[in-house]
Amino acid sequence: MMSIAFQDTSNVLQARAEHNAKLALRADRKRVTWFPVVVLGLLLALPALQFVGNYNYVLHLILFTACYATMASGWNILGGFTGYISLGHNVFFCIGGYFAGMILARYGVSTLVTAPLAGLICAAVGYLIGRITLKTRGPSFIISSLALVMIARILFDNWHFVGGANGVALPANDLSVVWAKLPYYYAFVVLAAAAVFVSYKIKHSKFGLGLRAISKDEIKAESAGIDTRTYKTLAFAISAAFVGMAGAIWGEYLTYIRPNIFLVILVSVNMVLMCILGGKGTVAGPVIGAILIVAFNEIFVATLGSSELNILASGLIMALALMFFPLGVIGTLAAKHRLPRILNWD
Amino acid sequence: MLEVQSLAKHFGGIRAVDGCSFMVPKGSITALIGPNGAGKTTAFNCISRTTQPTSGQVLLDGKRIDQLRPHKITRMGLSRTFQISRNLADMTVLENVICQARIGGWRDLFKPALGAEEVDKAMEILDFLGITRIAFEDGSNLSYGQKKLMDLAALLMSDPKIILLDEPAGGVNPTLLEEIVGHIRKLNDQGMTVLIVEHNMDLVMRLSHKIVVMAQGRVIADGKPEEIRENPAVLDAYLGGVLEEAA
Repeated sequence: MMSIAFQDTSNVLQARAEHNAKLALRADRKRVTWFPVVVLGLLLALPALQFVGNYNYVLHLILFTACYATMASGWNILGGFTGYISLGHNVFFCIGGYFAGMILARYGVSTLVTAPLAGLICAAVGYLIGRITLKTRGPSFIISSLALVMIARILFDNWHFVGGANGVALPANDLSVVWAKLPYYYAFVVLAAAAVFVSYKIKHSKFGLGLRAISKDEIKAESAGIDTRTYKTLAFAISAAFVGMAGAIWGEYLTYIRPNIFLVILVSVNMVLMCILGGKGTVAGPVIGAILIVAFNEIFVATLGSSELNILASGLIMALALMFFPLGVIGTLAAKHRLPRILNWD
Repeated sequence: MLEVQSLAKHFGGIRAVDGCSFMVPKGSITALIGPNGAGKTTAFNCISRTTQPTSGQVLLDGKRIDQLRPHKITRMGLSRTFQISRNLADMTVLENVICQARIGGWRDLFKPALGAEEVDKAMEILDFLGITRIAFEDGSNLSYGQKKLMDLAALLMSDPKIILLDEPAGGVNPTLLEEIVGHIRKLNDQGMTVLIVEHNMDLVMRLSHKIVVMAQGRVIADGKPEEIRENPAVLDAYLGGVLEEAA
């Protein structure tokens, strides 16, 4: 192995010291870890509200947001870090939901227990699908992901073992109305936290650096010695796992699994929009995007009624937001160095 | 060291590289020259497997590498730069360089990207090339010449045995050119084998120990710079002469 001898090391030492100082300064100035931890703590304590009244609506909203935050963060690992836009990630939402849901329906094991297993199954399926579809790039990959949704829809609509288009009813838990949402609430909050944590870890690992290289220039990345095929299929698998776990719990929460809950394009489009609105490829972006989109939807449904009008209003807000934040809220603010410290989780 | 045997690459009916064979001796600076469209870059791409050769063999230290995927070739110690510097924008120079560092295995994959060891090594290389001051610049803010130097730095990060440089002097000002030449010489003095594709004849004549001349996808001459300078076939090729004769 060739190694280069360096004569003068004083420059190196000085540069190293400067680098360390810069890094320390940067880490100090740019990143805030206490904020997400405090938010997580508050969210975990929030159900105490149920002692003083019925705040099921609030819990439902947070749970719903956390579900989408999990999925968007998962999607972001493939779509944001690696640069492969998938419109077919709801397939894993579906597979996770059906796998855990069928176990619940047949054997009565709660999805809260089987969710990690559902995640693993989705990762395996994601790995296999990724091996095939990740050979394409750009628009072809997007179309292949759409085809995946169609294939899955036909499959699940006609698969009688899992109830076909009618789906399967799942047993509800036997907690009282006030506490019934709680297990799912905690499951989703923990899942969302895990997704954010894993995103953060990946972004700062060699793996994440490789993924970023792939998203910029795959040929260069490959010739830089990065095993692009393994990297991107692994990213696909990890992102599928998170979406699958969310699906598993979502099924039991709804007490119903049916293809048109999971396999509608709106679900996967929502994941993508959240990442784009929040900031693709950032850690906080998908979470912020999920909060914003769920909030917009709720506000417009409440004020304009559940018609086409609320969808129009949400779309308008999206378009306006992307005019002023072309890289997403987090991405644009970070690029302009205006990002509030509490939102920098990178 | 590197041996190319009757390498061919056809694009439809066009034979970009048409049975080209040459050798790069260990520890040498070998230059691959030829008029535009001679197939130099295609041959280069086939060696590093950026494009798949139609036929032929490439041997590195006696082992065939023409069927491996590009990252494996890089891991075996053959690294290349690109003619148009393909740097990874919105990553800093340091990240761009570290990107090319070796990865030991699965466990390595999830270690922090900018580990102290890698940063030290990258900084040493940047220092060797005299560009430590741009270590924290975004790849997209660099000048053309700085990008070339960054490419070279990234190349060295992967501990190569042989480096392939695609037009290292293309579009670079004379001062920087001298600097790059100096770096290539220094690396070569330390035992690095170098293969260059270059248009700048002056540079090639000064730098290389061996020159391989290509025209229309074939090797028409192969030898020391002095020999090449006097070779009538080469002069013909460069002056647009009769190529059939040369082949």
